[in-house]
Amino acid sequence: MNAPGITEPTEVITRARAGDAEAWGQLYHDYAPAIFRFCRRALPTREDAEDATMEIFMKLKSKLVQYDATRSFSAWLYKVAANHCWDMLRRRKIRQDKETDDLENVPLEHPDPSQLEQLIEQRTSEEVRKALDKMGGRARMALVMRYYSDMSYDEIADALGVRRAFVGVVLLRARHELRQALEGNAALAAGGVS
Amino acid sequence: MSELPEDKMKHLDEMTLLLYVERQMDRARGLEVSAHTQECDACRTLLRALERESRLLTRAMLEEDEPLPSRLAQFQERARRSMQWIWGLVFGLAATGAYALYEGYIQPWQQQLEQAGFGGSNLLGLLIFQGAMWKGWQSVVTLLEVVAMVTLAGLGAMFFRRRIRRGSALALVFAGLCTMLALPTGASATEFRKGDIVTVGPEETIKGDMYVTGARRVRIEGTVDGDLIVFCESLDVSGHVAGDVINFSQSARISGRVDGNVRGANNNLTITGTVSKNVLTFEETLTIDPAGKVGGSLTNVSANLGMEGSVGRDALLFAAHANLDGKIGGGVRVKGDSLSIGSAAVIDGPVHFEGRNRPEVSSSAKLASPVDFKQMEKKASYRESSYYVWQVIWAAAFILFGLVLFSLMPKFAQDTVVAAEQIGVTSGLGVLVLFGVPIAACIACITVVGLFIGLSTLFVWYASLYFAQIIVGAVVGQWLMGRTSELWPLIGRMAVGLAIVRLCTTIPHVGGWVKFAAILWGIGAISLSIYRRFQPVMAPSGPAAPYTPPMPPNTTLGGAQPA
Repeated sequence: MNAPGITEPTEVITRARAGDAEAWGQLYHDYAPAIFRFCRRALPTREDAEDATMEIFMKLKSKLVQYDATRSFSAWLYKVAANHCWDMLRRRKIRQDKETDDLENVPLEHPDPSQLEQLIEQRTSEEVRKALDKMGGRARMALVMRYYSDMSYDEIADALGVRRAFVGVVLLRARHELRQALEGNAALAAGGVS
Repeated sequence: MSELPEDKMKHLDEMTLLLYVERQMDRARGLEVSAHTQECDACRTLLRALERESRLLTRAMLEEDEPLPSRLAQFQERARRSMQWIWGLVFGLAATGAYALYEGYIQPWQQQLEQAGFGGSNLLGLLIFQGAMWKGWQSVVTLLEVVAMVTLAGLGAMFFRRRIRRGSALALVFAGLCTMLALPTGASATEFRKGDIVTVGPEETIKGDMYVTGARRVRIEGTVDGDLIVFCESLDVSGHVAGDVINFSQSARISGRVDGNVRGANNNLTITGTVSKNVLTFEETLTIDPAGKVGGSLTNVSANLGMEGSVGRDALLFAAHANLDGKIGGGVRVKGDSLSIGSAAVIDGPVHFEGRNRPEVSSSAKLASPVDFKQMEKKASYRESSYYVWQVIWAAAFILFGLVLFSLMPKFAQDTVVAAEQIGVTSGLGVLVLFGVPIAACIACITVVGLFIGLSTLFVWYASLYFAQIIVGAVVGQWLMGRTSELWPLIGRMAVGLAIVRLCTTIPHVGGWVKFAAILWGIGAISLSIYRRFQPVMAPSGPAAPYTPPMPPNTTLGGAQPA
């Protein structure tokens, strides 16, 4: 789960932890673009993403001592970023306030496989990104954590504050929301496969 | 599952297929799904669609559609240089340490040498007053103005951080100050005098500034063609000073002419001569005799003030007992115990008096308007029971104040509470800010350009003494009731904690120290939070998002759904 093109910078991290400004700058140089893209996908506006990126790296400076060097730095960094973005959304009341108990009981409508396949075939990456902008905070956050930073279900559960068993539900609901945003209506969600 | 004969017409639900695609199933269940999708076209199609959807999502997410914004690219540069401020601070502290060393060891040793017959002038004075920078500005600024300007430059560098590299600027300021002080002595006209009695005779003219230190008596009967800076027991200026008079003495008398300002702190100051510009002084007793004349404004903090001469402009007086019996060209604002306005008084502007006793105004006094009097309320005694009633009222007022502050600045308040958890750092910083800021502000006040900033800084500093206790209250509340990152629960904790802190401050003997410690701690936290706000690379580690303990691994979800 490294940032694209980046190998684990063990030595740089060690130096940054010791207060080496150059090493710190190197870390920022290597990881800021990836973290900015993460924030850009997860947060509503570009300005939010810029602010969040800076804040994450500020936070990182004091949190770096907590990093366990035996684990993946990128994974840890994405976790910090996810926590920060989710906290930011939560503070701004953008977060969907649906309780996990509700999630358990909400029936998920079954899509028409061929219609879904057709929809996926026709959509471009750019359209998906635009559709993400129309989605709710939790759904969007879940998709970004899973498909951008490749976080595990456990990590997503941690970040979103839900039980691990509901991560699949959150992701599936997010996909439905994305499809609706891509379609502009809920037509695809109607109907079954029988 | 669908492999059973009776389930032939049942399809897998989307959740099951998604978990299969996401590899979140145990092996046995995965094999079942795999087997079903090989037989069932609809489920296979849906599975394929979900896989494509995953790929589309990943591709859409990972595409580098936007470059790193320039703001973030610049932040990187700043991050690289983030540690430089520490060097600036270290340099400044080192300079302070060197000065302390000089004061504590070198100067006494030098004095011993002098007593042994090896005379020499004050080393620090030489460094300061004979530096090239100093001489270049000698007709414009005084030492204190230079210090104030450097202070302001430092503040400016911090507050306009977005446009300049703060760390470098700060280091530059300290380096500049030290360089300025340490520059070699050039051709100098500054006159240095030391000795028991220093006298400038009637026929004598000092070309340039005059600096006197360590003297018991200083008499200026001749002319000083520059500023006069004096540290002595007794100063008498009966001659002419073309610049400012800055004096710190037990008693000072100005019976001659000063073309500039008079500033300083004395036990007694008497003006019987003429000061062309302003007077800003702190003393026990200030007397301006009938012949005394101040061309500009009069700003004074004293126990006793007698003004029988004339002041050209406004007078701002913090005097326990003030007696005005002369001419004042502007308005007068007095705060103290008593005010007496005599029959010879002529005041062209409004007179405001806030005091314990009503002002005594002679009917013969010529005032532009009646005295605006405001009664000063008597404070409760520590020994009276009403003191504790007041404490309760104060605690309520504090909570209200905290409520307003937390509501107005929720992010800052939360950041400050987080910063306060670093007790060691904040307490250390608190000591520095609690004592350093008022000193810097007072220094700034002495200069004309820095007066506004100095007073504003003092005001903010004073307000922060109260805010500091609120922050400590919030931290104590969090200790008792648990951490929170929500605003209103934090306010609730602040109220509880503040009540406890205020209660502790009422404990006899100990309460004062508790309050002092709380102020130190809180003001340090405020300073740290402000600093972090203006210093992106040193932001606080914010509280982590609330976590729910994860379920055991390999937990799966979903199952077959009837068609």
